[in-house]
Amino acid sequence: MSGGLHFNRGRPCRISVSYSMKNNTDNEQDETYLQVRNVTKMFGTFAALKDISLDVNEGEFVCFLGPSGCGKTTLLRAIAGLDIQTHGKVFQGGREISDLPASERDFGIVFQSYALFPNLSVNDNVGYGLVNVGTSKADTHARVVELLSLVGLEDQGDKYPAQLSGGQQQRVALARALAMSPGLLLLDEPLSALDAKVRVHLRHEMKELQQRLGVTTVMVTHDQEEALTMADRIVVMNDGNIEQVGTPEEIYGSPASPFVAEFVGTMNFLKATKGENSQIMLGTHTLTLNDAEKAKLNGSSVLACVRPEDILVRGVDDSTANSFDTKVKNLEFLGSFCRATLVYGKDDTELQADFSINLVRDKGVEEGGNVRIALPANSIHIFSAG
Amino acid sequence: MTDQTLSSASPAIVKPKLSRDDYVMRAFVLVIGLWLVVTLLMPLYAMLSKSVQDKDGLYIGLTNYIEYFSTPALFYSINNSFFIAFLTTAITISLASVFAFILSRSTIPGKGIFKSIALLPLLAPSLLPGISFVYLFGRQGVLKDLMGDYSIYGPIGIVMGEVFYTFPHALMILVAAFSIADARLYEAAEVLRSSRIRTFFTVTLPGIKYGLISAIFVVFTLVITDFGIPKVIGGQYNVLATDIYKQVIGQQNFQMGAVVSVVLLFPAILAFAVDRFVQRKQVAMLTARAVPYEPKPHTLLNRMFFLYCCIIAVMIVGTIGMAGYASFVTFWPYNLELSLNNYDFDVMDGGGWGSFYNSLELAAYTAVIGTSVIFTGAYMVEKAKGFGLIRGIIQFFCMIPMAVPGMVLGLAYIFFFNHPDNPLGFIYGTMPILVIVTITHFYTVSHLTSMTALKQMDPEFETVSASLKVPFFKTFLKVTVPVCLPAILDISIYLFVNAMTTVSAVIFLYSSDTALASIAALNMDDAGDVAPAAAMCMVIVATSATVRVFHALLSRGIAAKTQKWRKR
Repeated sequence: MSGGLHFNRGRPCRISVSYSMKNNTDNEQDETYLQVRNVTKMFGTFAALKDISLDVNEGEFVCFLGPSGCGKTTLLRAIAGLDIQTHGKVFQGGREISDLPASERDFGIVFQSYALFPNLSVNDNVGYGLVNVGTSKADTHARVVELLSLVGLEDQGDKYPAQLSGGQQQRVALARALAMSPGLLLLDEPLSALDAKVRVHLRHEMKELQQRLGVTTVMVTHDQEEALTMADRIVVMNDGNIEQVGTPEEIYGSPASPFVAEFVGTMNFLKATKGENSQIMLGTHTLTLNDAEKAKLNGSSVLACVRPEDILVRGVDDSTANSFDTKVKNLEFLGSFCRATLVYGKDDTELQADFSINLVRDKGVEEGGNVRIALPANSIHIFSAG
Repeated sequence: MTDQTLSSASPAIVKPKLSRDDYVMRAFVLVIGLWLVVTLLMPLYAMLSKSVQDKDGLYIGLTNYIEYFSTPALFYSINNSFFIAFLTTAITISLASVFAFILSRSTIPGKGIFKSIALLPLLAPSLLPGISFVYLFGRQGVLKDLMGDYSIYGPIGIVMGEVFYTFPHALMILVAAFSIADARLYEAAEVLRSSRIRTFFTVTLPGIKYGLISAIFVVFTLVITDFGIPKVIGGQYNVLATDIYKQVIGQQNFQMGAVVSVVLLFPAILAFAVDRFVQRKQVAMLTARAVPYEPKPHTLLNRMFFLYCCIIAVMIVGTIGMAGYASFVTFWPYNLELSLNNYDFDVMDGGGWGSFYNSLELAAYTAVIGTSVIFTGAYMVEKAKGFGLIRGIIQFFCMIPMAVPGMVLGLAYIFFFNHPDNPLGFIYGTMPILVIVTITHFYTVSHLTSMTALKQMDPEFETVSASLKVPFFKTFLKVTVPVCLPAILDISIYLFVNAMTTVSAVIFLYSSDTALASIAALNMDDAGDVAPAAAMCMVIVATSATVRVFHALLSRGIAAKTQKWRKR
C-alpha cells in the first residue's frame, strides 16, 4: 500500500474482531466506530425498522443479511443519511450524525446499479469528488491512477462505463467510493447484478481489498453465501428486527432462532417431544442432546433442527447413539454430492440429508432402499415448537 | 436499554437537518410553483371570475351562463363542436391506425419516407389545410367538381382540415403503441395455431388498447380546441373556438367570451382526465425480457399496404403542395403565371415580413427559455427530497396546460395581465407575454418529456454526489444535462415549431409591434388576401422544416459523439 492513500489513519490493518457489543450498549462513548441506538423507521404506520441497536467496530466488515423487505437496506440508508430514521440515534467515530444529511456524513457508497456517471470516463468518475475539493489536476490524476491500480483497472481509465464489463464497472464504483478516503464504506447489494462466476471472484477480491485498507465496511446482501464468505460479522435481519449478530461460524453453527436456521443454509425442522432425562423423542426414537441444547428444553413439544450435511451414515450401526433406520424416498444428484430425502417413523416424516458421491457408492444408497443414520448430539439445535 | 425506551413516552422524533442542496432545491421548487401560479392558475382564476361578472365587474352569479344557454346561436356551437370532433376522431383514428400498423408491422419499402411525410402537417399552422382546401375545393378550386352540390365552406372543410391537422399526432401515439409488441406472444399464438385474424384480436388489439384510447382523446381535444381551421374554412358554421374569438374580437363581449371558454374547458378537461386515467393503467407492457417483433414479408398484403401509404402520402403532400403552388401563382385563377408577388408581405396588412421576424424571435425565446425553465423545474420537482405535498401539487399544475385550450389561455391572460391593478401589467402587449403564454400553453408535453428522461437516470446519482461532497447543481450540469441532451433538444424543437405555428393562445395578446407570422396569415386570409396567407403559411412550413432538419443533424452529431458512452 502506498502512503499516498490515507486509508490507515490510525486504523488497524488487521481486523480486530470484538464481540463485546451486546453488553455496553448504554455507553455511547465506547471504542466502536459506528453505533446505532434504538433506531426505528416508520413509513406511515409501517415500521420498517423496530428499535434497532448495533455496533460496528473500526475496520470491521459487517453484513446485513435478510430476505427482501426485512429492513436491511432501510438500515443502511439510515446510516448513510439518505432516509433518516424516525427515532433513535446514530454515532460515527464518536460524533453524533443522527440528523445530518448525507453530504455532511463521512462515507463512500456503492449501489447495486453502481450509479456510474455514463457520460464521464472512468478517470473522471473516480476523480469526481476530488476535483470538487480543490485537489490539483496532477494530484487528482495520481490519486485516480492509484485507486484504479488498487482495483486492478489501471489501464481502463480512459474508457466509459458502458465499455466495461459488469465486474469492471463494479470495481470502478468501488474505487470512486474510496476516493475520498471515507471512514465508512457502505455497499448496497454490490454484487447482485453480476454473473455467478464473476460474483464469486469479486467477493474474494473485495474482501481482500477491505482487509488491506482496513476501512470499516457495512454491506447489505440477501445472499447468504456472500455474507458467510465476506463478513467478519453478520447481522441477520427479519421483519425490521435483528434476529442474530455473530461471526459466520456462529450464525451457521448456532443459529439463534428458527428464522436464522432456515434462512442461512438448509435445515431440517423435526417435530419432537420432550422425553426423560432431558432427552427428546423423535417419534419412537430417543435422541440425546448436548448440555447447551438441554437447557433450551421447555414445554413438551420442541423442534429439533439438523443440517442435512451433519447427518451421518458411515460407521453407523445399531449401537450408535442417536441412530435410527430410514427409507430413501428420493435421491437427487447435485454434482458433487447427492441430496437424499429420507423418511422415518409411522407417518413417513421427511428428512433431508446430504451424502457424498463416495458414500452413495460405498454404501449402495439407492431410492427405495434403507439406510441407518445418526444425528450427532452436537449437531442438534433445539427450538421451542411454539 | 429497551426497558427504558418502552417505559418512557414515545421517543423523540428525529428531525433531519437540511443540507445546502436541500435548501437550494426547495427554493427552486417554490420558484417553479410560483411561476405556474402566476402564469397559469391566476389567469385561469381571472377568467372564471370574469364569467360570473357583468360588464362593470360586478358579481352576477350565473346570469351570463343563463344568457348563453338561452341564445340558440351560441349554444348550438356546442353541437357543432362535438359533431366535428367526433367525426374527425373517427376518421383520423381509422386512417392513422392502419398507417401506424403498416409502418410498424409490415415490410414495405420506404417506411421512413412515408413516416416523414405523415409528420409534415406538424410543421404547418392549422390554417394551412383550410387555405389549401379553398384552392382545391373552393368556388374557384381545381377539384371543385368533386364536391358536387356541397360546399367546402362548413363542416366538410373543417373535418377534412382537422383530419389533416390531427393525423400526425394520432400516428405518433399509435406507432409507439404498435411497436411495443412482444414477439414471444406472436410466436405463442402461431405455435397454438391461432389464425391471423384471431391473433389480431387477441394479441395485437389488446396490445395497442391504451395507445388507441390515448390517441382518440388527443385527437378529440385537438379538434374541439382548434381555432385556425374553422376560422378559415368554417364559413357560417360556428364552433366553440370561433365563438370565443367572435365574442371577444368582434363584439368586445369579454364576459361572454369567458363563458364560452368555460364551456370549452369542460370537454377538454374531461378528455384529458380520461387520458391520464388510462395512461396510469398502462403498466409496462414491454418487460425487459420481451423480444421485439420482427415483421415477416407478405407479398399481397404488402402491395395493398404500399398503395394505402402512397394514397395518404399523396393527399398530405398534395394539400401542402397546393398551398405552396397557390402562393406562387400571381392571381388565382386568372393569371397562373408564377411570381413572388404574394411573398411581398410588406405591402399587405397583417404585419409584413416583420411579423415573420417576430415569430422567429418568439420561437427562439420560447425554445431557449421554455426548455430551461421546464427541464430545470422537472428536475427539481423530481429530485428534491421531502416537500412531498408541494411537489405533488406542482406535478398536478404541470398537467393543467394540456387541458386548457389555447384560446382560453389567451383570453385568461387578457383578464389577468390587462387588469389595471396587476403590477405585471407592463408586459401586456409585449414580446415577453407572448413568450410566457406560449411556454405555458405547451408546458405539459415538455414537462412529461423531461420527466421521462429524468426517470431513466439512475436515482442514486445525487446520492453518490452527496457522498462525494459534490453539490447537486454540479452533477446536474455535468451529468444530468449531458445525458438528457437528446430529450432537451426534443423539447426545444417542440417548443420552437409550436411557437412558429400557434395561433390560438397568442391571437388575443399580440400588439401591432409584436404581430406574428401565423396571425398575419390568419388576418390576411380574413381580409381576402388568401394567396399571401398561403405564402405566409409556406414561409412558416419552410422555417419549421429547416429547423427540424438542423435538429436532426445536430441530434445525429451528438449521437455520434456520445455513442461511446451510450452503447458498448
